[in-house]
Amino acid sequence: MSADHEVQGLLQRIALCIERGKDCRDTPYPEQLRDEDGVDELVRRALDSGIDPNEVLADGLMPGMDRIGTLFRERKAFVPHLLLSARAMTKGMEHLKPYFQSGEAVFKGKLVLGVVAGDLHDIGKNLVRMMVEGAGWEVIDIGIDQPSNSFLEAIDRNPECSVGVGTLLTTTMTEMGNTVEAIKRLNSELVVVVGGAPVSENYADSIGADRFLRNAQVAREFFASL
Amino acid sequence: MLRREPVDVLPRMPILMGFKAQFAGVDYKSFASDSRVKVDANVRCAEHFGFDVVDVMSDPYCETEGFGGEIEYPTDGVPRCPNPPLTSTKDLGQLQTPDPSQSKRMWNTVETVRTYKGRVFEKYSIHGWVEGPAAEAADLRGVQSFLIDVLLDPQWCAGLMDLCTDVAIEFARAQIESGADVIGVGDSICSQLPPDVFAELVLPRQQRLFESIRDAGGYARLHICGDIKHLLPFIKDLAVDILDVDHLVDIAAVRECVGTKMILAGNLDPVASLLQGTPEAIRQKIRDTYARIGNPMIVAAGCEIPRDTPHENLRALCEPVAYRH
Repeated sequence: MSADHEVQGLLQRIALCIERGKDCRDTPYPEQLRDEDGVDELVRRALDSGIDPNEVLADGLMPGMDRIGTLFRERKAFVPHLLLSARAMTKGMEHLKPYFQSGEAVFKGKLVLGVVAGDLHDIGKNLVRMMVEGAGWEVIDIGIDQPSNSFLEAIDRNPECSVGVGTLLTTTMTEMGNTVEAIKRLNSELVVVVGGAPVSENYADSIGADRFLRNAQVAREFFASL
Repeated sequence: MLRREPVDVLPRMPILMGFKAQFAGVDYKSFASDSRVKVDANVRCAEHFGFDVVDVMSDPYCETEGFGGEIEYPTDGVPRCPNPPLTSTKDLGQLQTPDPSQSKRMWNTVETVRTYKGRVFEKYSIHGWVEGPAAEAADLRGVQSFLIDVLLDPQWCAGLMDLCTDVAIEFARAQIESGADVIGVGDSICSQLPPDVFAELVLPRQQRLFESIRDAGGYARLHICGDIKHLLPFIKDLAVDILDVDHLVDIAAVRECVGTKMILAGNLDPVASLLQGTPEAIRQKIRDTYARIGNPMIVAAGCEIPRDTPHENLRALCEPVAYRH
């Protein structure tokens, strides 16, 4: 087998493990991959064998997230599957972190992401974070229950970013409007996207957001396209 | 309608929590923690807008408090449990044993039902509430961890949900004995579960809960927020009298799947129709829905109607719609 074939085989294996949520050898799930290496071992091996970290990201990790995201959109995969894939993605990204820090690998962009004040729900935000990271973006996660000032401070520290604002509660939708307004008032050029169960395209338009992203996969597709 | 007898108009059953507190001029902390405040807000709202149900709903953390979770009460926000008791342990022995007659919030719910019984018995349908097996398990473990556990450690999840089901049954019985006509079961997280996980882990436990509600003399209502299309082939066999249908689901497809043995409640969009829509569009949507699914139907939005919904929109939702014989 040629070296090229071996590289392709390894990257495809990484993509498969991301898609199936196999983060490391010790993880018992899924049954079909039991006792086989997971993302942790495979990404380490890929980097040790000299594969470019950008290639590991673009041809291993990202295609795996793309596939599970597509299955999620088609209702053939569900949130638990996404969470396991995202966990595996995080494991792979830990190995790439030094390359991003040194500049050898580069992110496609930067997203400041948070949930508005009064709302403590984090799972939707976490899913968006993991899926957008899977599209090659750096995500600055400022957390749940965040007043508009926290968004503004994060934007000050990351002036080239895009911004994601979420809420799960109908009761905190008003706060989402306040947050988007505060961001746009000072940073009209920034792309501000919103999401969450009660939010709709009409509502996003009404509060001046640039885009309503229905779920984590739609968010991944949107940021992958930028 | 629950007795399968003809009625004059379709029952109206909007889910309102923040709206009721605001309408009654009370802060949400009082609404969620004081049974007299909740009863008063419900009755005033029902009388003013003309709907047919009073309930005990405010947040999902009654049983969680009984299990030992610490609940915070923001003055104007929904109660929350920032540190679920099983966040960092899988030892179920760490949980307290909830008791509807001892645990503060569960007892408060039972008291709420009892107060309704004394005040509005047979004027309004009294709906009690319990958390479903999956929802309560997620409240105790943390949603994200629980959703991972269902794939990585289903056996542990089954044990946790058995415990949650036992507690839900006791809690439901206590509410029925105090005067609840209907017990709503909120199992919202189920819409996020794969169908095989739902069928293997949740369905048998929900079935046990619904049968216990009926055995105790109550009617059973199932509420799952979000899209449940993939679960309908399983839900159709549950002992459920009222099935809430969220706006994300094609309610006609639900009718086709479950037939007429379940009353379908729904399914206007709480935000697009109620918060942002117009009275005429709401009336039209109700007419369209009734034309599509026929009897038995309850008029409702798919989930909680937002606090700041215009009053004329809620009035439009509650306008009598003649029952078609």
